[in-house]
Amino acid sequence: MTELLQAVVNGLQMGALYALVAVGLAIIWGLMEMVNFAHGEFMMLGMFGAWWLSSTLGLDPLIAMVPIALVMYGLGVVVYTQLMRRVQRGDVFAQIFATVGLLLFLQNTVVAGFTSDYRFVSDTVLARLSGVNIDLFGIRLGLPLLIAGLIGLALFILLYLLIDRTEIGLSLQATSEDREAAMLVGIHPRRMFAMAWGLGAALVAVAGVILANFFSVYPQVGLQFTVLAYAIVALGGFGSILGTLIAALLVGVVQSVTVVYLAPAFKDAFVFGSYLLIGLARPQGLFGRF
Amino acid sequence: MTTPAAAPARRRGSALGWAAALTGLTVAIVYPIPIQMSGYTYFQTVGFLVFLYAMLGIGWNFIGGLAGQFDFGPNIFLATGAYTAALLAVHFNWSPWLGFVGAILVSVVICALITFPVTKLRGHYFAIATVAMWMIAQPIGATWELINGSRGLFIPMKPATGLGEALITLQFPGRSKGLVYYYIALGLFIATVVLFRTVERSKLGYYFRAIRDDQEGAEAIGIDSRVYKTAARCLTAAVFATGGVVYCFWAQAVFPDQVLEMNWAILPMICTVLGGLGRLWGPLLGAIILIPIAQVMSATLGAGPLAGRGLDVIVYGIIIMGVAAGRPNGLLSLPWARWFGRTPAPGSGRAAAGAVEDAPARR
Repeated sequence: MTELLQAVVNGLQMGALYALVAVGLAIIWGLMEMVNFAHGEFMMLGMFGAWWLSSTLGLDPLIAMVPIALVMYGLGVVVYTQLMRRVQRGDVFAQIFATVGLLLFLQNTVVAGFTSDYRFVSDTVLARLSGVNIDLFGIRLGLPLLIAGLIGLALFILLYLLIDRTEIGLSLQATSEDREAAMLVGIHPRRMFAMAWGLGAALVAVAGVILANFFSVYPQVGLQFTVLAYAIVALGGFGSILGTLIAALLVGVVQSVTVVYLAPAFKDAFVFGSYLLIGLARPQGLFGRF
Repeated sequence: MTTPAAAPARRRGSALGWAAALTGLTVAIVYPIPIQMSGYTYFQTVGFLVFLYAMLGIGWNFIGGLAGQFDFGPNIFLATGAYTAALLAVHFNWSPWLGFVGAILVSVVICALITFPVTKLRGHYFAIATVAMWMIAQPIGATWELINGSRGLFIPMKPATGLGEALITLQFPGRSKGLVYYYIALGLFIATVVLFRTVERSKLGYYFRAIRDDQEGAEAIGIDSRVYKTAARCLTAAVFATGGVVYCFWAQAVFPDQVLEMNWAILPMICTVLGGLGRLWGPLLGAIILIPIAQVMSATLGAGPLAGRGLDVIVYGIIIMGVAAGRPNGLLSLPWARWFGRTPAPGSGRAAAGAVEDAPARR
């Protein structure tokens, strides 16, 4: 029983980080209905940024997060204005291909610059805390992952409030629901889309910076997180930010329970298996509105 | 369309088309011979890969181009085909030619079983479901004992005594291997072209396009979209399984991470879209442009400081983004006819633009 609870708690902590990975996609894909297969590559850039700032300037990832988020916001805006705006009106195929091209381009530019070697961000604040555990009713909580999960959760809630409670967020939602009507009330759809891409890129890059504390950094790391993020957003349901959070926590739990009780090699297979089952029973996702 | 004036022009167009096809075929047949005589057979391998990817691209065109469903994981059928033929060769000593039959049958049955349930999903959801299948296939390939897990399967070596035997086992000594495999790929590519053309012009092809263009409308006239989407993906699976058999006998081994690699899914689609989605010759054009880039770059960079740094893929990325942003309907959708003065009639520019919407029906 304790073992199961331990697995669930571990899964919830990972899930909070997955939520941060997926929420950028929830905005771009779920809310604004644009496809981005280079999502994980934005995350990879965040991880490389964390590694680079830590190895050259000695900046801790928890601080490096801020400049990286700003730079990646800019990159997201550039990707939208220079590439995605041109394919937005066309077939969804064009969007898929444009972002697959972006994926190959970003990934291999990093390969060209830094080679495919595995790198590790070491001697960070979180790494120094490793081994420190909190004992809670017989369940051990590793402090690094707990802190990371809480940061992820906090950022997620901030974003939720931004989208659900502020004028900017409401403008974003209005643009996604009816572009023409949004224009009539003085919202610039293009500015909104650019902002959505900026936010999406910045958030997933921050997730990458946090994950760089726990995962090795290499140019091909993105794709597995991209597909995981797609499964999470689709599972949570289009347009539902909170659905994304719950789906991400669920995915974290499925993974860690699979690792403990079934076969570790199949942890992603079980996630996608449950996605297929839930997707077939409820194609709009758990909390989707349409 | 059927006005008397337009009819002869079309006949002339089709005669030109036949001439172009014959010229292309002649070039394709003659191409490897001087290479064989020069002794540097590397470019036969490039040609082999061009036709292999063009064939897979046409295969992907069934589900992606004709039926309009985005399949992100056709490589699982390449893996199924490769493993089926390899198992038959390892355990029962079957020739690859029988292996083709077995591989196609197994892949089509598996495809039908796993695809029918997810045809309920549409658009992005279908695409993610195919990715999910691929993700599930990866650990199965790496751990299943029957197929030897990540240790892979090796095709037993059988030094042939004569040409006849070599043609049955598809194992060729030394320098003749590149030449023969080039012609095998060419032959299978032509077979795939014929298959695609036949399906495209049959009732099946019209059903596929009807579902792609308007699923509700197609269902209203009694087309069961789920059955025909499954059928389209089974055609894709059959072509990928064939490609898998060729690849596995060419490499003489199957490893799960190799046959389930993303390239087998992405490169055929990229070739197709670069050339023209849903068009018969789109995948070939795309493959002729893209495949040599990677091969020539990796050959010229050699062991230099920039080797293995993914420069070829950076070029792919730029080309793909450029095509997606500038010409999402592919190179074949450019108004070639007008540029070469074949249809000088007014409004032909608009006709070319119109051809974009129902690309598969034309040419």
